[in-house]
Amino acid sequence: QVEAQNIDQELFTEYAFSVEQLMELAGYSCAVAIAKCYPLEEMTKDNHAVLVCCGPGNNGGDGLVCARHLKMFGYKPTVFYPKRPSQALFDNLWKQCEGMDMPLLSFFPSEAHLITDSYNFVVDALFGFSFKGPVRPEFEPVMETLKKVESPICSIDVPSGWDVENGDENGLKPDLLISLTAPKLCAKHFTGKHHYLGGRFVPKTLEQKYQLNLPAYPGTDCVVELKPNDDA
Amino acid sequence: MKIGGCCWLIKQELSLMVVTARSLRVLGLAAQREINPIKTSYRSVIHNRVSQSARFEQRRKMSVKIGNLKFLNQVEAQNIDQELFTEYAFSVEQLMELAGYSCAVAIAKCYPLEEMTKDNHAVLVCCGPGNNGGDGLVCARHLKMFGYKPTVFYPKRPSQALFDNLWKQCEGMDMPLLSFFPSEAHLITDSYNFVVDALFGFSFKGPVRPEFEPVMETLKKVESPICSIDVPSGWDVENGDENGLKPDLLISLTAPKLCAKHFTGKHHYLGGRFVPKTLEQKYQLNLPAYPGTDCVVELKPNDDA
Repeated sequence: QVEAQNIDQELFTEYAFSVEQLMELAGYSCAVAIAKCYPLEEMTKDNHAVLVCCGPGNNGGDGLVCARHLKMFGYKPTVFYPKRPSQALFDNLWKQCEGMDMPLLSFFPSEAHLITDSYNFVVDALFGFSFKGPVRPEFEPVMETLKKVESPICSIDVPSGWDVENGDENGLKPDLLISLTAPKLCAKHFTGKHHYLGGRFVPKTLEQKYQLNLPAYPGTDCVVELKPNDDA
Repeated sequence: MKIGGCCWLIKQELSLMVVTARSLRVLGLAAQREINPIKTSYRSVIHNRVSQSARFEQRRKMSVKIGNLKFLNQVEAQNIDQELFTEYAFSVEQLMELAGYSCAVAIAKCYPLEEMTKDNHAVLVCCGPGNNGGDGLVCARHLKMFGYKPTVFYPKRPSQALFDNLWKQCEGMDMPLLSFFPSEAHLITDSYNFVVDALFGFSFKGPVRPEFEPVMETLKKVESPICSIDVPSGWDVENGDENGLKPDLLISLTAPKLCAKHFTGKHHYLGGRFVPKTLEQKYQLNLPAYPGTDCVVELKPNDDA
């Protein structure tokens, strides 16, 4: 958790990136990875409908950017964003979603099957690498319902609710995990179908400083699929 | 093709590549090793030929006819830009990042890394004093991530945090800065595989200021391909310039400008895939469909087969 926070900080201070820039690249790479795993033409429920759940921090911001790009790709995202922080960054990200005619869910469906029936997949952008449990009361019912949803779940950076280093056996079980910048320790406990790395913006000197040993991204792609060592 | 114990699966249509986690360290080293064209083996010659024709096929399928695509005059271009920032609440940083990234992607499609053999994939990026220059800085940074070796020429940096930061980001990527522009075109032709022209954009009103005149004159004589961002620098944004720069590649951003009708170079791409549908309809842009998740689309004149 500490390394993740330090790398983030250095990108903003020493390398002079802005949050808007990196969030844009991060959210875009999530949308690209999602589209690779769940191609538009196969998402037949309700005209490519998908649900994007955004939490109260930067992970939520990544989700909003992701939702916007999914819309550009032809999906039909609906956003659930119960707790928007009062910062210009998130105000603007939300306005950009509104400008793309994205519906906002006023309350989370109480029953998992309602979500399973309506949405081809759910993007989990609730909590990221700064999360320290337990989940706050207002998000508890959301997490409980999500665990029962049968549509695939795509988690941005960290499966929400998981301990960032040790995972959570009883937590969310996403189908796709998109690690950003570099995977977090809890990704070792990920057992879903697809694990992608995104956020292709790490300068070589920063990569070497933290010995990230990042894989080569193919060509101009902004994502690369990661497979466990024992796979052929 | 096996590299040090890791397996590569290449699907032609989707170009999906899978790497094993063990190869994270191996590939970290491989990424730093340059490909030596002289030692290219027979197998990789075949591989290159196959991937070249696959790439050609891919590009052919991905280009679209211009159709009713709208070409903007200067006022429309400025208005659309303004609305993106005011009504749609985008920040300059966001859109500049997406714009610069799409330029880098289009450039890489037209001038693939492995074919850029001068001095280890060296390229020159010329950045002007405004937003076009900012697009160029972002583009340079992404070209570096893709494996090119950009050198930046940035004679007049505006005193705004946006450009300070964009330049610092380039410095953080170990990008050399040219202190003065080479006086002779052949020096550039010999050293750089291509030149990215990010000097002047859609807000340009001639004539070119004195400090940029010699740069423009030299660029016109350079024989390396020139890739212009949004508007070939120095051109009248609506009417072009017969005696101006003759770029090989033009990447129009958001929507092409009227002067693009005078473009006679090899490749015309559209980038900046961020226009909300309502804005597109308001200005009747008739944007073409971008393929899949691509951030660029090649435009072909209507009369092409």
